[in-house]
Amino acid sequence: MKRKVGALEKVDADLTNLQYKARRDPPSYEEDFRRQYSQYEALRDLLLTNPSSSADTGVVRFTELVDFIAHLAESYPNITAKFPDDLIHILSYHAELESDLRDKIVSALVLLRNNHVIDSSTLLNTLIPILVVTPSKSLRALLFQKIVSDLRSANSKATQHRLNRTIQTVLFNLLTSDRETTKGLWSVKITREMWKRQIWTDAKAVDIMKEACLSDNEKVITGGVRFFLGGDREREEAADESSDEEGVDLNKLRHQAGINKKGKKERELKRAAATVKRKERKKNAPHPLNFSALHLLHDPQGFAETLFSRHVQNSKSKLSLNAKLAILNLVSRLVGLHKLTVMSLYSYLLKYLTPRQASVTSFLAILAQATHDLVPPDVLEPLIQKIANEFVSEASASEVAAAGLNAIREICSRQPLAMNDVLLQDLVQYRKSKDKGVQMAARGLLSLYREVGAELLKKRDRGKDATISLRAGEMKERRYGEAAIGQIEGIDLLEKWKEEERRKKREAAGLPPDAAIDEEEHAADDWKNWEVGSDDDSDSSGGWIDVEQDGDDINISDSEDGKEPPPKKAKLSSETPGPTDDAEKENKEAEAKKISKLLTSTILTPADLKQLKALQESSAIRSQMPSSKRAALLAARHTDDAITAETIEAAGLLSKKTSKEEKIAMAKADRDDKHQSTTAKRKEKKMSEGKSTTNKEKARKKNFLMTLGKAKGKNKRSLVDVRKSLRGHVERQKKGGRRGNRG
Amino acid sequence: MGSSAKKKKEKKKDFQKPKLKVGKAKPKAANSTDTSFKAKSIALKQQSLSTNAPTVEAQCAHHLALLSHKSETQRRESLAYLTTAISTNPPGLPLPQPSSVIIPTVQRLILDGSNGVRQQLLKLFQSLPKADIPSHTDQLLLHTRAGMTHLATDIRIFALDVLEWLLEAAGDDVVSCAGGWVKTLKCFLSLLGWQNDATSKWSAVKSAGKAGGDSKLQVKQMNTLAAFLKVGLIPSQVVVPVEAGTTFPLWHTEQHMLSKRSNPYAHLNLFGPPRDEESEMYEDREDRQRVFHDRAEAAIVAGLEQALKGGGELGRAAAQLRRVVKEGMADYHGEDLEELSTQ
Repeated sequence: MKRKVGALEKVDADLTNLQYKARRDPPSYEEDFRRQYSQYEALRDLLLTNPSSSADTGVVRFTELVDFIAHLAESYPNITAKFPDDLIHILSYHAELESDLRDKIVSALVLLRNNHVIDSSTLLNTLIPILVVTPSKSLRALLFQKIVSDLRSANSKATQHRLNRTIQTVLFNLLTSDRETTKGLWSVKITREMWKRQIWTDAKAVDIMKEACLSDNEKVITGGVRFFLGGDREREEAADESSDEEGVDLNKLRHQAGINKKGKKERELKRAAATVKRKERKKNAPHPLNFSALHLLHDPQGFAETLFSRHVQNSKSKLSLNAKLAILNLVSRLVGLHKLTVMSLYSYLLKYLTPRQASVTSFLAILAQATHDLVPPDVLEPLIQKIANEFVSEASASEVAAAGLNAIREICSRQPLAMNDVLLQDLVQYRKSKDKGVQMAARGLLSLYREVGAELLKKRDRGKDATISLRAGEMKERRYGEAAIGQIEGIDLLEKWKEEERRKKREAAGLPPDAAIDEEEHAADDWKNWEVGSDDDSDSSGGWIDVEQDGDDINISDSEDGKEPPPKKAKLSSETPGPTDDAEKENKEAEAKKISKLLTSTILTPADLKQLKALQESSAIRSQMPSSKRAALLAARHTDDAITAETIEAAGLLSKKTSKEEKIAMAKADRDDKHQSTTAKRKEKKMSEGKSTTNKEKARKKNFLMTLGKAKGKNKRSLVDVRKSLRGHVERQKKGGRRGNRG
Repeated sequence: MGSSAKKKKEKKKDFQKPKLKVGKAKPKAANSTDTSFKAKSIALKQQSLSTNAPTVEAQCAHHLALLSHKSETQRRESLAYLTTAISTNPPGLPLPQPSSVIIPTVQRLILDGSNGVRQQLLKLFQSLPKADIPSHTDQLLLHTRAGMTHLATDIRIFALDVLEWLLEAAGDDVVSCAGGWVKTLKCFLSLLGWQNDATSKWSAVKSAGKAGGDSKLQVKQMNTLAAFLKVGLIPSQVVVPVEAGTTFPLWHTEQHMLSKRSNPYAHLNLFGPPRDEESEMYEDREDRQRVFHDRAEAAIVAGLEQALKGGGELGRAAAQLRRVVKEGMADYHGEDLEELSTQ
């Protein structure tokens, strides 16, 4: 229904124009705005009498008016005082409103919030209840997006603790108020999004998810459980992505701005410079300390117990196997990570440990994950026995046996005491198996026990290292519940380095190198270089190199003073490839004394710690040995990392015969499917951009038949003709083409 | 270009003839479009195959449906049909379609973009029996107000026409329906550009020309406002003669009878949303006077002064309006003085 409007009237009817003018000079256009506002009020009253009617009557549509007023509400706060409430009221009819109008009202509210007419909590408290109840999918998507982006923008400058707290409370109440329906899924979704974007990183957000895990609806439960299992990885990935993106090459931009036309380029440059500066600042900023959700959990023992008893053990819960597996996975993660005691979990798992059970490898992984060194060995023993009986036999398929052995190894690496010698010796026999997967799995078990419990093995299986250390009494089986004595690795190296430094300083000052140590002076020195500056860094590492060169010196001075030679590991490594146990044993007591002295008498400054780290890295004796490599690998696998079904299945894959196609596909996997030279790529790009070709290229591409005639003529010519034409060519070149470029 | 064997082959491929085989389905052309579709149900509208001509009722219903047609001619024609159908209806018989069906459907055409449609609409309104109007006043008034604030000047003028008709047909209901008094007054004030806010700055020039459009429009607005105020403020002359003799034992029978108005308990607002001062019903003349005094009188008086200075047609209209205001508010001031004297 468009009607023709006169030129003057058009100016009036043009809301965009009026909006533009009114924004620049609000007082002058107040009259016009008032008129529009009264029009809005009339149309609003009309709409409210019948919300489902389409409101676009006449020339001006209601949606346009709403948009117009929302844009100018900031400039006319007196007139539009009731406007936000009106919109909220209209939006309460969201089920009947036209979708167009509904979306417009939502975005108008967001606009009002961005212009600080209403505050975030009002907006969110309006949108969240609608998000939960509306049947329209598109509206839900819109609302979700708006809610998330509003929370993000509110928290962009500084964390809005009060806002976050109120919204978190709203979401929490949403979960607790209605446990049966899927409404709670929205709190899960919003919280997960906020967690991923590192806007909410506190225990309250984790609490919401905990509540979601304990709800009664399967979707909500799995949403919560998935968050705990994958939320942190998602967050890390998102952080990596955001740091990768928007790499701005300022030099390139500047160059381009110089070449191309002037205009808005300058503004762009300025913006880019700001981005670069911001990034730089971000790079220098300290890394935010983000705890994983599993660590922020309050009362993990109670949570694990309730989860297990409510959803898994409860015979009334009607969860699918997948959901149950996810919950079990979470429970076992919690048990493994926090070293919890949930005894019924192990007996529950017992009945699922048969090769015919669906996704049994997941159950095996869950069992391994739930094992830690405080689980009583006699609880685990029947489980291991059952795995051995059900999975590991000559009769069973090789993949099954490999998976069983692998699972046993994973369990025993966490609780070595759960194994008895008869079973172990029996299992180790499988390393003679013909199948490669079984073989490797059995070898893994063997090498594990060579390190953690060599007595259980037969003598001939123990290997050299284990036998030697057993004889020396160095290797002792750790008893149940025994904890390792904490110590700082490489502290001895640090102490030696410090002594060295001091000695050098004294020598430089002309004092006897081994006079009584002036503790205070020493301490004062330490405090002076408390911080490690960037330029300090190179100095200290240079200082360390000095130590190595002066190694001989130290030894001499030591022997002069009748002291025992300090264990100089770097030197030992250069002389003998393996460690000499005897020498180490001699030094043991003295070393222990020293360590205690250093740690008890001084406070390690950050500079010290840095030095310590450098020393650790460079003392490369132990890292050469294969067993320590393995140990390092084990240590590198963080306790936070989960064991998945793939870990258990990995050994079995070795025994699987791959077909030729699979092999080819595997070999090709990391390569581009089509190889092309750089020139060819460039040419293709040029073609696709529609650029022309050079004369040379045209000549090369010319149809062969067309060139024949000319070539024939060339062959028949006499030598004189040839010379003439060549000369002519040379001359033409000099002249600059047939026409010439001079005169 | 195009010299390589591969490219040639590719080109050739486009013109290859598909091989036809006996007993096989014919291969589909490359540009054939799949026209099949799936539907849960297919509804066929029934075709009326009766031989006799449709009744007037059916035709009216049909034309009512056509009022939302996109062609303005069609809309106008339908309105015209309805007008003739109503006006040719013999008195005593019910209308071909009841007013309660016609009015809600046609009222949104007040805001219609086409002038012809609107003029026809006014004719239709005027042909409707006056007794049917009061029950639809509030809806009609809503649309009228939307029209009065409309961007387009001719719609604004037309809305004034409608209001005049409405005042004539159901004046009492217009001023006493929910929101009818205050909101309409506010609407007039903003149309005339007479704002009663104290905050208005001296620099903001009261642009008489722009605010009310041309002076012709402003004259019309003032006239309509005068009519509106007359209905609202001046008591109707018809005084029910009290015949004491005939109804001797009964006093105030009127009060005890069932009300003849539609929806007599509307002022209780039993089912609607809570009302504020603006959308409240003001059924008494005294109430209206009070609200008028509080909200509009000062602005109108100030505006009138300016208009009177202008003289001409505008001045004449302003003088008329001032007379109405004076007459309507005469006894109110008196009350005020009385109150003052008693205090």
